[in-house]
Order: sequence, then structure tokens, then C-alpha cells
Amino acid sequence: MSSPSDAEVIGRSLGEPEAFGLIYDRHAAALLRFLGRRAGARVAEGLVGELFRIAFERRKAFDPSRGSALPWLYGIGSNLLLKHRRGEARRLRASARMAADEAADKRTSAAALDARLLFPRVADAIEALPDDEREALLLFAWEELPYQSVAEALDLPIGTVRSRLNRARARLRELLEPKGKGRMRSQ
Amino acid sequence: MKPVDLARKLRREAAFEPAALDRGKETLMAAIRQEVEPRRRPTIIPQLPYENVGAALSFLERAFGFQVIPASRLEGADGVVHHALVEFGDGVIGIGTQGAHGAISPQSGGIESQYVSVAVADVEAHYQRALAAGARIAKEPRDHGSGAHAYEAFDPEGHRWRFVHQRLREVREPEERRSR
Repeated sequence: MSSPSDAEVIGRSLGEPEAFGLIYDRHAAALLRFLGRRAGARVAEGLVGELFRIAFERRKAFDPSRGSALPWLYGIGSNLLLKHRRGEARRLRASARMAADEAADKRTSAAALDARLLFPRVADAIEALPDDEREALLLFAWEELPYQSVAEALDLPIGTVRSRLNRARARLRELLEPKGKGRMRSQ
Repeated sequence: MKPVDLARKLRREAAFEPAALDRGKETLMAAIRQEVEPRRRPTIIPQLPYENVGAALSFLERAFGFQVIPASRLEGADGVVHHALVEFGDGVIGIGTQGAHGAISPQSGGIESQYVSVAVADVEAHYQRALAAGARIAKEPRDHGSGAHAYEAFDPEGHRWRFVHQRLREVREPEERRSR
């Protein structure tokens, strides 16, 4: 017998609340990593239980035509992260420093210097995106969700997700464009 | 390089302890229990009136080890608690603002019209906890002929609580008792 889909488990949990524990067992590790990337391990550990508590309380609203609960859980996580935006900005800058160090290991000193200048700007540019665009971009780029799942997570039509991602791309390109123009694209 | 690829380069894994997953699950399971438990509510729930419900709840938790059932908390717009259920073992009791249903706190009325008896596993430990929290003791712990070990204490508004451990005794046949 194949294991029941998330939608079936959530449906069953309406009458037998304990069944919802299985949703946790299936997805908590992925969500804990997601929260950790965005807000740091310490905050993530405090948020993951809260995320699933909220999911449990809203489970009646879960759309059973979606097989997997994962995008829906990401959506709840995204909302929770909005309250932790300051920590996220710090974390993004720390990531930029680490990315620059990694790049420096592999490149000539001139390129390494470029990376040191570039990555903090990428971090600042992501940080400067409007909340809705940043959320769509990071679910797409970091969590590697397909458009359809980003749309489910953010509860938006897929067309809106496309346009948000396009706006985010255009804005990043603009924010990253160095004064001298064109160098970034030649890399 | 494309903006999305640049953004990808900033992706970092945050290591977490395996215990973090267990703690998260405990939060979820507590919410689940909260939903399941009302079905097991007792048939009779006594309601005690207080002048200051918030202070009473925190005392009852601290001194007597009662637990507020979070979903039962009723707060006004000003954040003042009007009513909440507290549980202990399989018992539930309501703590509410006096006057709302006619009943008044002993602190206002000057009399105690009832006391509440609570079964505990370890009377001495419970007594020490209540003492440490500043409970006024009405009767020191002692053994009763019936096989009960009990003490009594007042909460800050003068409600009297009796904490008792009933020792299990062999049930003797009446003839046996007579022969002794």
C-alpha cells in the first residue's frame, strides 16, 4: 500500500488531530533548514514548532487539490519570517562575506577583490527588494521551488509570481549595475 | 552572471541540532492535545471568583502547580484576564472575575463559602512548593485517621485549598475488622 498523500493526511487530521504529526515528520527538517538559511539556526529552532502549530490550526483551509503540503508550509514560514526581518538582513550580509571568501579561494586576486565588492552588494540588493519580490525570489532561488509551488506558497496566481520574479530580476540587475556598466554581465 | 545565480551564491545551510526537531514537534503536539482534550472535559467544573484573576492564575501556577489552559483564556481589549480554566491532573476549575455570576471573592466578602480538595501524589513536596511561593498555611501537613495525609493553604484572596494524598489501604472484610 502506498503511503497517503499530505492532502489525505490533513483530511484525516480534521477528525483525528493526532494524524497531523505525520505532516511534521515528513516536512519539519526541510522547513527547519529553510528557516535557518533565512533567519539563522537559533531563530529557526524557535520558529519551526510555531510554524507547524499555525499550520495545524489552519489545516481546514488547506486546499486538498494540492497533493503536497510543502509549498503551503513554506508560505506560513515566509509570513513568520517577516517578523524576523532584522535578523535576516544580518544573516544575508554574513552569507555575502562567506560567499566572497569562497570565491576568493578560487580566483586570482583581482577577481577575489571583485567578489569582495560584489557579494555584499548582492546582499544589499536582495535586502532592498520589496518584501513580496524578495520572498518570491528566495523561494525560487534558494528553495528551488518551481513557479507553481511558489504560487501556492504565496497564495498567488502563477502569472503574478512570474511578474514578481521578473521585477525582482530587473531590480537586482539595476542595483548591481556597477558605475562603469557592463562588467557584471561579461563574467 | 544572472541576478538569480548571484542570489543563489548567497544560499547557506544553517546546521541545526537534531533535538531542535523534537522540540518543534513538542510545540505541535501540545497544540494537538489542546484540541483533543476539550472532549475529555469533566462534567462538573467549579468556578471560583477573584478580584484579580491574572494575579490568581499566576499564584495558582507558581504555588500549587496548576496549569492554565491557554485556549480558555478570556481577555478584555485592555489585556486584563476575565476568566480562564486551570487544570491539575484530570481536574479542571474555572477562575473568573467576581460578580460576573453573582459569586464574590472571600477577600471582598469576608467569608469562605467552600474549599476545594485536590489529590496530589506527594503532599510534603507540594507543601514545600506552596510555602516557597508565599502561600499562607491554614493547616500544617498531618496524617489523618482515615489514611489521608493532607495540608490546607489559602491563596492570596483567601480561598482555601486542601491538598491530600489518600493512602491505599487493604479493604478488610467486616468480620475481620470485628475480630481485631
